Amino acid sequence: MHLKLKSSTWRVLRFIFLGFFVLISIGPLIWIVMSSFKSNREILSSAFALPTSFSFSGYTAALDIAPIFKFYGNSIFISVVSTVLNVVVVSMAAYVLARHKFRGNTFITLLLSVSLLIPTAALLMPIYRIMTAIGLFDTRLGLILVYAALGLPTSLFIFKSYFQSIPKELEEAAYIDGAGFFRTFFVIVFPLAKPGLATGAILQFLTSWNEFMFALILTKSTEVRTLPLALNYFTSQFSFNYTAMFAALTMVILPSIIIYILLQEQITSSMVEGSVKG
Amino acid sequence: MKVKRWKLATFLLPCLLLFGLIYLIPLIMVIVSSFFEWKAGGVFNFVGLQNYINAFTNDPRMARALINTGIWVLLQSTVHVGIGTVIAFMLSRKLRGWKVLRTIYMIPNVVSAAALGVIFLNVFNPKYGIINSFVSAITGAPFEKNWFFEQNSAFMTVTWSWLLYTGMIIIVVLAGILAIPEDIIEAARIDGATEMQINLKVRLPLIRTVLGTGVILAATSMLREFELIYLTTNGGPGDTTLNLPLYLYKTSMTDNNYGYANMMGVVLIVAGIIAVQAINKLFRMNESDY
Repeated sequence: MHLKLKSSTWRVLRFIFLGFFVLISIGPLIWIVMSSFKSNREILSSAFALPTSFSFSGYTAALDIAPIFKFYGNSIFISVVSTVLNVVVVSMAAYVLARHKFRGNTFITLLLSVSLLIPTAALLMPIYRIMTAIGLFDTRLGLILVYAALGLPTSLFIFKSYFQSIPKELEEAAYIDGAGFFRTFFVIVFPLAKPGLATGAILQFLTSWNEFMFALILTKSTEVRTLPLALNYFTSQFSFNYTAMFAALTMVILPSIIIYILLQEQITSSMVEGSVKG
Repeated sequence: MKVKRWKLATFLLPCLLLFGLIYLIPLIMVIVSSFFEWKAGGVFNFVGLQNYINAFTNDPRMARALINTGIWVLLQSTVHVGIGTVIAFMLSRKLRGWKVLRTIYMIPNVVSAAALGVIFLNVFNPKYGIINSFVSAITGAPFEKNWFFEQNSAFMTVTWSWLLYTGMIIIVVLAGILAIPEDIIEAARIDGATEMQINLKVRLPLIRTVLGTGVILAATSMLREFELIYLTTNGGPGDTTLNLPLYLYKTSMTDNNYGYANMMGVVLIVAGIIAVQAINKLFRMNESDY
């Protein structure tokens, strides 16, 4: 009897504990989405009440004040291109480092791993100077290059260990059949490594999609700015139009959440692998 | 399978160019210019260790930024990882809905940190934020604490906005627990160990390297932390919530004091290396158990 009581108390405590973290994890987000349909007056007078009528005026106001769709387009373009660039460039290097013994292999591997140890904020100022000097300040290409490099260390280690796990025999067979080095890589190895490449690509995409600091310092015009910066814009622009700000926030966060929920198995395992390898 | 060297070089070159442009050249610039007085308008004089000496003896903002960064690294590697680990252990028993919970806990981590910053700015808003509305609703009296912008609450409020959001730690530790071979657990059960004993004495030691990974993630994330502070308090009030990346940003982008900013870059890199080495050692990351 005594034991039973103890275990049920334990269960209640666990329920409260886990419930508290559920509340703080999604409570604010639900509140943001709910408030985006309220009027300014409703937001100020009753924080928890449901909206009295669903109004989309916040959304039209937000889109009037900031070109959110433009930011969306930029974010998608920059994230996709930097992901493709990262996967192609890094997988080629990772393949050579994983498969071919040559003088300097260890040195290059060590050199590239240096990037793992650097908190990127430390390089903020030189990167800004370099991008300005080579004419890539305030361009999409500038951000694409920086983002492709940010994911370099993680991608390198994921790809390298994946290539090492593929049996060599297939490549050797390809060589015997007369396929050259480039052909062997792009036609035989690349497709075989798809799961590993996908892991790196997912992480790279998320990095680019969410990045804020470099987007802030390397761009200045709305033509090239990305979605996370749209929010920076809102905090000052919307100081009194709360509905519009909540609507803008909803438009920024909802797609990420929906995509995460749809692809959570892949994203979760990529994150686990990326953190262990990186 | 002998491949011509130029073909290998062709494959390595794009990656090395990217690395050179974004990591190597900037790294050299950071290290070299940290020994120079380098400011806007062409000022560029060698000053030896002067930037470092100033920073550590004569700059209260630097002291504040270092202390704050240090506190956040420590809190994040202990409290944050601790909470995440406890939740991961609870979820590892695969109670009904454990996957849904895992997803929910992860959601704040998949929303961009910039969005999260603006969300917290609203949650803690003095006029219409959830926290104050909740307090008013309970006490029945108007409550207008300005959490992010008052001296006595700013640091705590900023800390709150990442300390309890442990989704990343949960998925990493949970994956570690679930990867433990079942026969080890079975053997402990046959020996008569209770579930609690198995957790503490079998599972916890076995996920040592995974925990180490989690601590490294948590600690280094605090050495990168920028946007959430930038978008909420911007280091204020005063310098209450200033950290090293934000101070570096302000020194180079607002004060145009590049040499001094790059000195902070060196400090950040060194801090990162020390943290990672210490954690590696503490968790004996290079040894494997099974």
